[in-house]
Amino acid sequence: MKSLSEQNHYEILEVHPTAAREEVERAYRLALTTYTDDSLAGYSVFAEGDAAALRERIEMAYRVLSNSRARSEYDATLEIDPDEDLPRAEPSAPLVPVEDHFSENAVPLQTDGTTHLDEGSGDFDGERLRHFRIRGGMEIEDIARITKISPTYLGFIEEERFGDLPNAVYVRGFVTAYANCVGLDGRGVAASYMKRFDKGDRARRKGRFFESR
Amino acid sequence: MGDRLNKLAAKLRGGPDGVPRARLISVGGGKGGVGKSFIVANLAASLARLGHRVIAVDGDLEGANLHTCVGVPRPRVSLADFVAQREEDLGKLILDTPIRNLQLIAATDGNLAIPQPSQSRRVGLMRELRELDADFVFVDLGAGTHAAVMDYFMIGDEGVIVIAPEPTSVENAYGFVRAAFYRRLRLAMASHDMRKIVTMAMDQRNERGIRTPLELLREIQTLDPAEGARFVETMRAFRPRLIINDVRTADDIKLGFSIQSVCRKFFGIEAEYLGYVNHDESARRSVRARRPLIDVYPRSDAAIYLSRIARKLLADGAPGASQEGSI
Repeated sequence: MKSLSEQNHYEILEVHPTAAREEVERAYRLALTTYTDDSLAGYSVFAEGDAAALRERIEMAYRVLSNSRARSEYDATLEIDPDEDLPRAEPSAPLVPVEDHFSENAVPLQTDGTTHLDEGSGDFDGERLRHFRIRGGMEIEDIARITKISPTYLGFIEEERFGDLPNAVYVRGFVTAYANCVGLDGRGVAASYMKRFDKGDRARRKGRFFESR
Repeated sequence: MGDRLNKLAAKLRGGPDGVPRARLISVGGGKGGVGKSFIVANLAASLARLGHRVIAVDGDLEGANLHTCVGVPRPRVSLADFVAQREEDLGKLILDTPIRNLQLIAATDGNLAIPQPSQSRRVGLMRELRELDADFVFVDLGAGTHAAVMDYFMIGDEGVIVIAPEPTSVENAYGFVRAAFYRRLRLAMASHDMRKIVTMAMDQRNERGIRTPLELLREIQTLDPAEGARFVETMRAFRPRLIINDVRTADDIKLGFSIQSVCRKFFGIEAEYLGYVNHDESARRSVRARRPLIDVYPRSDAAIYLSRIARKLLADGAPGASQEGSI
């Protein structure tokens, strides 16, 4: 059990040393909201100066871990011992063997592997994507910043304004990136979403055909 | 004969190779009015609907209301009969509910003069709870951190803490986590001196200025490394589970993660965020109808979230899942 001063950047942000960029981003955003002076989760626990000191550590950790070069340099200085008693090193009752315990930081309910399926059954539509985004505490702009996809298109994806989206190849890429960003399996989600897109697209073209007659 | 003895021993032990016994899930939270009974009624009903035999026990002798949440208007017997020693067999206090597979032990009609059971009666009650014939036993705890409440929380295989996204509830939840952890710790310490230090640390204004379990750990590690090791073991095994109820915004959802982080960083305690239940008007309507939400409005948002939490509980106990996470 390490005190805060002994924790490395990963432990401060509560992410695994192999965490992807998106996870680091999510963890950082969560830490920022958790450790404001008057945060609901913390105000009754923090002593004077606790939150400020932590915020400083969080910023430092994020500066390093969000920059791939700085991060690999930092990694080289770390001796990561897999058995070390990271606070989370010993996962709580793992739900399913494949469970990545640390991704729980992002989304609580989908991590048991089955909830993907029963997360409102059926297709991954725009509404469900939006649901996952909100659950992860992200704004459209956050996803835009990470994926470099225009927020307008991300909005269209959620609203399923298929007619306003570019052609399928692009949309598939957008949806994959969006899904990865909110902690879902990008390929699976895109496959599901694209079925709806194709259907919508066909219907639209048919509509246009009738209109033109 | 030997075989029968073994079976009995296994049953009492309830070990992994013993006769399967009910999973005991205690649900507390420190603060009243955060929806504990509502959550217990609905998780119990969800599991019952999935075909598990469930008994919901109202552990709140001073504010009994679980019976109403599960649709039993006037329980004819209750835990109060056990407390008053009118009935020794807890099994005889079990009542059927309108929901198949779901039974109830109510807590109505207590003796207002002596609402809480004596220490020895509590021990008897906890033993009886363990013996109930069911797949799941839920214990709905009263508010506060009274010794009686904490005892019931402690015997659970799993302890769930229900929190509403508001300051009063969050503060009380931390108080509850602390109380549960320190009690557990005091039991784990072998030496009398260390137990005394734990007791001292339970006083928030203690002379040594120990504020958190982590600070207490430092203190004990310096004084007695062997007890320090026991401390770390206790810490690892202690895993309260959190449910955030009545969630209205994305920030409310994030609160669960934030509390998890604060518990980890400031207490060294690993809490598990089991899930959240969103604010839903139909929840209130179901309480008015005096039936579980998942029974009256199974398609409502909150019902869907509740059954998801129930499934998560189920998955946690599935073969292969570690039981270390128990409290």
